[in-house]
This record gives sequence, C-alpha cells and structure tokens, in this order.
Amino acid sequence: MNAVEIHDLTVRADSKVLVSNVTLNVEPGTWLTVIGPNGAGKTSLVETVAGLRRISKGSVSISGQPIASLNERERARLVALVPQRPSIPNGMNVKDYVALGRTAYHGLLRAPSAGDRAIVDSVLERMSLEGFANRDVATLSGGERQRMVLARALAQSTMVIVLDEPTTGLDLRHQMDLLELLKTEVADCGLTIIATLHDLTLAGQFADRLVLLDEGEVVLDGPAREVIRRDELSQCYHMNLRVIDIDGSDVIVPVRGGLEQADVLTES
Amino acid sequence: MLSANPPTSRRVAAVTAMTLGGLVVAVVCGLALGPTSIPTTRIIGGLLSEVGLGHSTLTPLQATIVWQLRAPRLVLGLLAGAMLSVAGGAYQGVFRNPLADPYLLGVASGAGLGATFAIVYVGHGLTTPSWTPLLAFIGATIAVVLTWAIGGRGMRSTASTLILAGVAVSALLTSTQTFFQQQSSIDSIARVYIWLLGSLATASWQSVWMVVPYVVLCIVVCVAAGSALDVMSVGEEEARSLGLPVRKVRIVVIAASSLGTAAIVSAVGLIGFVGIIVPHILRLLVGTSYRRILPLSVLFGAAFLVLADTIARTVMAPSELPLGVVTAVVGAPIFVLILSLRKQLTQ
Repeated sequence: MNAVEIHDLTVRADSKVLVSNVTLNVEPGTWLTVIGPNGAGKTSLVETVAGLRRISKGSVSISGQPIASLNERERARLVALVPQRPSIPNGMNVKDYVALGRTAYHGLLRAPSAGDRAIVDSVLERMSLEGFANRDVATLSGGERQRMVLARALAQSTMVIVLDEPTTGLDLRHQMDLLELLKTEVADCGLTIIATLHDLTLAGQFADRLVLLDEGEVVLDGPAREVIRRDELSQCYHMNLRVIDIDGSDVIVPVRGGLEQADVLTES
Repeated sequence: MLSANPPTSRRVAAVTAMTLGGLVVAVVCGLALGPTSIPTTRIIGGLLSEVGLGHSTLTPLQATIVWQLRAPRLVLGLLAGAMLSVAGGAYQGVFRNPLADPYLLGVASGAGLGATFAIVYVGHGLTTPSWTPLLAFIGATIAVVLTWAIGGRGMRSTASTLILAGVAVSALLTSTQTFFQQQSSIDSIARVYIWLLGSLATASWQSVWMVVPYVVLCIVVCVAAGSALDVMSVGEEEARSLGLPVRKVRIVVIAASSLGTAAIVSAVGLIGFVGIIVPHILRLLVGTSYRRILPLSVLFGAAFLVLADTIARTVMAPSELPLGVVTAVVGAPIFVLILSLRKQLTQ
C-alpha cells in the first residue's frame, strides 16, 4: 500500500485553481520534494495533504484512508505538518511546545500519559533539544526553533510528515543540519516525507523523488537526478539553470542571461 | 518570583497558595466588614455552628445581617468574579487576543438593551422591575447568538470575523438602547445608568440560586478547555493539523463563556475590568498556559471582586461606590506594579 495516494486532485480558492488534476503515489519511506516557482501551488498541495484545505475534486489518502472522511484527531495520527511560518507562542517552554504533538493521542480533558511524555523526551533527545526543554520558545535561535517545530511533528508519531519550506530563514549550515536530521529520521523510522523547497540544490541532494509543479499542474515527476537535468526546469523558472556534478552531488546554479536550454556540466 | 522564563512549578504553587490565602481573606472581609460592626470571632463561630461545630453567639439581628445580607452578597461576588475572570481568560485564548473580555461578542450591549427595555417599558421608569435580570439575560443571549449567526457560521469564519460581528452587533444594540433611553424620562435614565455600573447591593439568595447552575457549569467547561486553548495558541490552522477540533472548541468555549457571563450580568449588571485584568495579572505571574491561568482565574477573580466590593461598600458607607469603578481603581495599579516588576527583572 502506498503511504500517500493523491488522485486527480484539484483545489480551488474561490474561482482560482491552485492545484489542478494532480495524481501522485508515494511509497512508504520515500522522500518526495515538490519544487516549482512561486505561485506554482506547492504550499496548497502540501496543505491539502495535511488536511488543511478543502478538496474541490479528486482524493487524497494516507495509508489507504481518505483524509476528507477523517476528523482532525484521526488525521493528525496519520500525517504531521511543519508549516512554512510556524506560530511561536510566547511564554511556552520547548517541552510543552513539542508535547503539543501528542494532542491527538491524549485528548483534551486528560493530561499526557507517561507514554506521551516518554515520546516527547525521546524526540527532544533526537533533535538535540534536551538542554532547551525548559527554555521559552521565543528565546530560541532560528535553527533551534526549526528543530523544535520538526520535533513537534515527530512527536505526532505519524508515518507521513509534510514540510512546507522547512529551511526558510535558516543559514546554509542550519539548512543542511535540519535536512540531515530529517534524513536520519527517514532512514531510522521509515518515514515518508513530502516537502516543498525553493533551494533546488538541496531539493536534488536530499529527495529520492522530485515533482516539478507549475500553475498547479505536475510538469515533471521522477528521480531527483533526472528531474533536475530536464529542460522543463529552466522553462518553468524562466531562467537558465545549470547542473554541476561535484563529487557525485548535483549543484544547480542559475546563470545570468535569458532563458536558454539548460546545460549539464560535469566536474570530476 | 517573576522572570521572563516559563514559570517553575514552585512559582505556580506559591501563586496558588497566595491566591487561596487571598480568597480566605476576601471571604472573612465579605462577612465581617460592613456598616454594622460584628466581631469576626462571632462570625467564625456562627459559620462553624452552620456545619454542626459548637453553637452560634450571633444575636438574631447579627445573624440576619450576616446570613441574609452579607452571605448572599459574598457568594454572588465570588461567583461573579470567578465567572467574569475565567470567561475573560477563555475569550483571550479562543480569540488569541489579549484585549478580549467577556463582553466582546455583545453580551454587555445585549444585557444593557434588555435591562433598559425592562426599566423603561415594564417599570415605566418608576422602578427597576423584577423582570430586569431575565430581560437582561435574554438580551445578552440574543446578542451572542446574533453575533455567531453573522460572523461564526460557515467554513470561512475565523476569530476575526466573529470579533467584527461582535463590534457590529454591539453598535446596533447600544444605539437601540440609547434610542430607548432618549425616549424615556430622566428617572429611567438614572435607573438604567445605576444598573449599567454594576452592583452587588441587590444580591439575595434568590439571585444566587438563579445563576448558580449556569455559572458552575460554565466555569467547569471553561477550565476544562485549558489544554485545548494551549493548543490553539499556535493558531487555528496549526492547531487543526495537531488534531484539535478547532471549530468545536471555539463553539463550546464561546457558548460557555457567554452563557455564564450573561447569567452574571443579568444578576449584577455590568462590572468592567475584572474579565480583562485578572487573566493578565495571572499571565504575568504563572505564564501563558491556560491550564494554569483558567483555574487560578476562578480563585483570583472571586477573591478580587469580593475585596473590591468590600471596598465599594465600606469606604463611603452608608453609600456605595460603583463596583466597576473600584475594580478599575484597584486592578490597574496592581497590574502596572506586576508589569513593572517583571520588566525590571527581565532587563
């Protein structure tokens, strides 16, 4: 069974079509990154997978269960979201913030169980946040904050996590650190990841599979190394993109000037 | 004791102990202080005799003053302070708006209109009729239902649309109330004005029993919603993604806060400032978690309003100061003091 099945999905906001006839099947343990220019529909797609947008046509299923038929609690046990701009409440400590990820398990009238607390402690440790457990969330740096938001998603104990631009606002080192942490979780726990990323190099280096979205439609879908070498990538971004292979890692660089056919250079 | 970091359990325990201490002081003051001097020891003896320990040394007149005048006033004050404070805290949580108070969705204007209608058209401006609490309650309930019908239905409703609907409904009902007042006599206007200022002077056991079921139920619901409101502090969309049924929580919290507030307002009029200041004072003392703020609001609000009422009825005895004026005069300096202490410690 696929971890995520998106079938003929169309999402509208008023009369504007945000996602159009998208069909994607994602196998368990896959890291799929959605790329595309601003306004391509990336955020709308991942928010729909997370159950936050109304489906106009088609369906989205997580582990075989159509999300439109699930209530919030059932959905939160199947898919966790790392939003692009998470809201950071003042005065809450890191441990309590991460424990919000257990909301779908302990209910609203009961306190978190010993099992819930053990999961939170374990996630804090895996994200190297145990030393920050009692710190006010508002006092964390950008990198620490993103690790904390990821920890909250991991505390939901779902097999699917969707991340909308998780590296926004982070410097290069912290971007790499965060994605490496996530990669470790994918390898250790068999998580399925659906992420959006603007940085094509990071997208290419970390994802197993890339989906190029433009004007709400899937333009390309395939293994990361293949997708970044296709001409459609430059055409979608309306610029000249080149791919440089450095010791087996692909680096995508924009080249000044008009749109030309994308070149592929190899540096060995 | 104050710092910018989330509070330790020791700090929360200390604040809880102090609040409980304040509540005991408030209860003693509420029963012991008044124009007629009655020794505190006699009141405590009378209190113990009520639960079968010893026998009361209160004279019949003193017993009447304590049990028929001061005790219902005290109980109604405790209920009003607890309800307005917990409703204010719950509104601040559900709307993620620090300026929210229990009157946000039109309860005050609806109750004001109901009471004005009762005084002007039922009492003909000559009395404040016994129908006033019921009509105030109906007015307050209609106002909230109207606000919900305009701004709270449909998938696109948000906290902001509800607040805006509340502003519109309040403006409409207040202008209608002003029209009623303008059509009435000076005597009516004076009675309406006195009612609007809020007072516990007319408290009786009957008014206590009238509001108890609503208030107790609504306080329990609001306090139980503390965990849900903590989840909502990350915003409605994120809360939904975490598994919180945001819409249901919003309906339940608003219904409980509004119903409880409407019941209290119908019994004691409009007492301002308590609902906004008490949750804020507690937020400064014990942090931002509604699991701590809401139960402590019940205790702190109850103590705060009874102490304010004690001041209102004693400093210019035998006449009374408007309770709303005292809550603001007492509450504002306390709030500023705590705020400045916290600022100093965080610098």
